Amino acid sequence: MTEVLDTIGQRVTRLEGKDKASGRAQYTDDMTLPGMLYGAITGSPHAHARILSYDISAALEVPGVKAIITGDDYDWFRSGGHVKDETLLAKGKVRYIGEPVAAVAARTQKAAEEAARLIQVEYEELEAVLSIDDAMNPDLPIIHEEFSTYQMKVTDLEVSGNECWATSAEEGDIDAAWAECDAVVEETFETQAQHHLYLEPASALVDVDANGKVTIWGPNQGVHFIQTRVADYLGLPLTKVRAISPTVGGGFGGRAGPHVQPITAALALKTGKPVKITLSRAMDFETCRSRHPSRVRMKIGAKKDGTFVAQEAELLFDGGSFMDETPAVASFGLMMARGPYRIPNFRGSARAFYTNKLRAGSFRGFGNPQTTIARECLIDRLAQALDLSPMAVRQKNAMVAGDKWLGGQEVPACGFAQCLEEVKKAADLDKAQLPPPAPGKKRGFGFSGFAHISSFLASGASVQLREDGTITMNTGGIEIGQGASTILAQICAEALKLPIEDINITEPDTDTTPYNYKSVGSRTTYTTGRAVKAAAEDVADQIIEHAAAMLDCDPAQLTLISGGQVGVKADVTDSPLVNRTITFKEASLRAHYGVGGPIIGTHTFVFDGPPFDREGSKMKAVVFGNMGAYIYGVQGAAVDVDEVTGQVEVVKAWAAADVGRAINPTNIEGQIQGGFAQGMGYALFEEMVWDNGRLVNPTLMEYKVPGVKEVPKVQTIIVEDPEPGGPFGAKGVGEPAMVGVAPAIANAIDDAIGDRPNSLPMTPEKVLDVLDPS
Amino acid sequence: MKIHKPATLQEAAGLLAADDSAQCIAGGATLVAMMNSGVVEPSALISLANISGLNEVTKASDGSVIIGAATKHKTVAAFDSFSGAQNIVGIAAGKIAHPPIRNMGTIGGSVAVGDPAADYPTALLAAEATFEIVGPAGSRSIPADEFFDGFLSTALAEAELVQSIQLPAGPENAVAVYDKIAKIDGDIAIMSVAVVMASSGDRCDYLRVAVGGCGPTPYRVAEAEVKFINGDLDVAIELLVAASDPMSDVRGSADYRRKVLPRVLRRALITAQQMGGGE
Ligand SMILES: Cc1cc2nc3c(=O)[nH]c(=O)nc-3n(C[C@H](O)[C@H](O)[C@H](O)COP(=O)(O)OP(=O)(O)OC[C@H]3O[C@@H](n4cnc5c(N)ncnc54)[C@H](O)[C@@H]3O)c2cc1C
Repeated sequence: MTEVLDTIGQRVTRLEGKDKASGRAQYTDDMTLPGMLYGAITGSPHAHARILSYDISAALEVPGVKAIITGDDYDWFRSGGHVKDETLLAKGKVRYIGEPVAAVAARTQKAAEEAARLIQVEYEELEAVLSIDDAMNPDLPIIHEEFSTYQMKVTDLEVSGNECWATSAEEGDIDAAWAECDAVVEETFETQAQHHLYLEPASALVDVDANGKVTIWGPNQGVHFIQTRVADYLGLPLTKVRAISPTVGGGFGGRAGPHVQPITAALALKTGKPVKITLSRAMDFETCRSRHPSRVRMKIGAKKDGTFVAQEAELLFDGGSFMDETPAVASFGLMMARGPYRIPNFRGSARAFYTNKLRAGSFRGFGNPQTTIARECLIDRLAQALDLSPMAVRQKNAMVAGDKWLGGQEVPACGFAQCLEEVKKAADLDKAQLPPPAPGKKRGFGFSGFAHISSFLASGASVQLREDGTITMNTGGIEIGQGASTILAQICAEALKLPIEDINITEPDTDTTPYNYKSVGSRTTYTTGRAVKAAAEDVADQIIEHAAAMLDCDPAQLTLISGGQVGVKADVTDSPLVNRTITFKEASLRAHYGVGGPIIGTHTFVFDGPPFDREGSKMKAVVFGNMGAYIYGVQGAAVDVDEVTGQVEVVKAWAAADVGRAINPTNIEGQIQGGFAQGMGYALFEEMVWDNGRLVNPTLMEYKVPGVKEVPKVQTIIVEDPEPGGPFGAKGVGEPAMVGVAPAIANAIDDAIGDRPNSLPMTPEKVLDVLDPS
Repeated sequence: MKIHKPATLQEAAGLLAADDSAQCIAGGATLVAMMNSGVVEPSALISLANISGLNEVTKASDGSVIIGAATKHKTVAAFDSFSGAQNIVGIAAGKIAHPPIRNMGTIGGSVAVGDPAADYPTALLAAEATFEIVGPAGSRSIPADEFFDGFLSTALAEAELVQSIQLPAGPENAVAVYDKIAKIDGDIAIMSVAVVMASSGDRCDYLRVAVGGCGPTPYRVAEAEVKFINGDLDVAIELLVAASDPMSDVRGSADYRRKVLPRVLRRALITAQQMGGGE
């Protein structure tokens, strides 16, 4: 590319960083409104029970109580991510411990909590379904008896019992292919529920006006989605629901759906007053969402020289009590199972089940970590069986631009091979330089390859030129700590050749912000970014038209000059024009007060990549029509395994990501390092543990994430293979940053001690059982 | 809620005796967390903050060290006049949690909780510490192995408070090894082993081994120590393992604790030997 860029590629400091670092940022719980009430929730004590009756008389006696709502107060409005299976409060039945059955609004937090405790609910307990195996047991009760009446968009779903989703795909001739293989490996892997552990627990503040329109603030990953879901729950038209994004204390997918917003809105409507609910950490753990626990059976076969021939994948997901994003997680997990490799024969299925536990939902990686651990561990096994280096096997089978993803979509760009090469180089260098392991510890190295998407569904943006020549940019891209605001501002600044300081970013607000699906799926940089770039270019075109009129020339002779000016192109020699410039301010004043009207550029689109070939790839119940802008990555880890205790220390890590174009290298490095830490927690430490349906570790005293002493130095490598269609060639990086960590660590453990656990997290106990099976 | 700041420990004990649901507060690291989660709802807090001399470590002329009950973990970790066997306590103090907690929590608060997986109790047992206790009825002193009398339980009677903890001089040439196994750095131990070992020439003639997190209280097995001194490492380990009674919790299963205990004991004992504790 010959294009000269001013802002793209610069290490622009986080725009919201100072507010956050100085404590000035206002999170939802920091906000109050005049006359505001406090809300509290009564949770179910049972994992599975019928609700027989409510007695709220004692609770109503608590001084300061203004309203109490139960499932009886609501008609059967259902909401849900893909299948409408949730009600505002449990109705008729409770399906997990902690499920909201009633809520209170009161003058003080204390009164609300006391009243919530005094609400009496009579239950008839039912046998609980607590695992995938339970869910497949036909003798256990059905969790959603009315499943067949639920609304959903997909028509080719075939499930029964507690199975809630079943999707599959097939390419090539798998049954014949096994015969061509010189080596075949097959194993089953289990993964656990992980918590998002955003720093800010669930919180919502809801105001209501005299016409019954509610305004909602709360941590979220998409104001439009929250608006739609709240409207669904309450049976309101979208005109009566407004969602605003305040500062958000982390998301990781956990805010991809609503949390306490619907209940808070119901209380605000009932009392006619603003209401705030903030969950304790424990209640957040118990009632929001987790990563899907899974069991994945996988089989891969290859020829002597390491060429992959066939792969079979059978994914089982534990979806918890409600579907939320389960259909998409199951579909996506399936579509990622083959990864960025050429494997001509593939058969895969993903099934998901209802259980009486917290709903599983969106979480950084979205079904991809569960399949990547299986595939990448098996690739190492296959290499061992063929006496080849695992890295060489990955290199041999790496997909390249022009190859097709599972589902038949051609990938237009692919930096996977370069990622493999770069990580190999970096690790080889370190191998010689790392200090040797301490006595009693064994060192191993492991790697993984993976890919993810960065676009699907729709986004819009509006860019306004203000009278002083600066810009106000409005998008639904939510700043959840990933750097979205800075990245989107950089894209806008670059498209207009303005300094970043000249871009003002508005707070996402459904009353004013152009539609954005959500800030999920690593899609913001590519998808919202593409809308921003096109909207900014629209503004640039309009400015140039004004300038051309002012200079009395052809717009084609003009171009933007850095710093908010229009000048003639280098090849224009028309002497009166040379050295003439028009500032954005001059153009804007003309537009505002003279001719044409204020300059606003807008753009919306829905991801326009090729659709999946549903017939050719025999795809069933896959919820995505298309997706794309694939991101590629490779991760590596060096671990020291303590032979006495089974503890695993990660001593060094390498991570390469093909991001198309690095809009802000610092931000990418931050995502890769943060993703490594979260992936390392998934690999070694984190697990939500239920005992008889009760979550036993819902606080940070018991739920442990890696800290500064555990997370190693992560060497980040940015690979740039520009994505056609991406803004300046860019695509995302947020999720893949964690996807390959667990398999890299698992393979390193295997390298150190000759085997590895087949289940996450790889606790000292599981590793010690590998070291000493006695 | 009322907050009292008495000037003496006797006064504090009197206040506690007068109000059943009052609680003494030292660093607050544990108590405030318990209050926040609703486990305890004290009617009043009796702070030890204004009691002079309670937050000091002093070395006596006989070589013993006296640690005031309100001394913070970081102060004990930084104390540089421990000798021989006493070092085990300083090492353990440095392995409690992380700097903010070490800056907050106190030795009195730590031992009063009676958590068998906490670091001090195990180390104090190996150091053969003695606890000075003040109550409404006066003072008494009891050895560490009597102080920890059950899971989350101590020998402290109603309204009794720890005044100080005394560490005897012990063998001057002793080496100390504290092997703490935790999920992540700064977490409460899954289990831990404290070893104090001394030798004359290259022969071990003094050993104290305490095990934490593998039963309702930290424990020692005197016979195991004798066996080791007599050269029987394997039997010593067997005896210590036989005395364990671990339970399962979110940090680790009972099976893991049983499996890892002999391995960690062996490592800690061999490390102590290599450090000069004697063959
Ligand atoms: C995040 C975190 C991590 C931790 N990690 C570790 C760890 O790795 N290892 C470890 O050993 N501990 C750990 N702890 C516990 C820590 O050491 C606490 O500081 C200690 O248990 C309590 O000390 P405190 O002074 O804060 O006591 P407080 O919280 O003030 O009091 C605790 C209890 O002791 C009583 N008490 C206080 N002083 C006295 C006294 N003089 N006499 C009688 N009773 C008294 C109080 O009434 C109360 O019941 C951790 C704590 C936290 C919060």
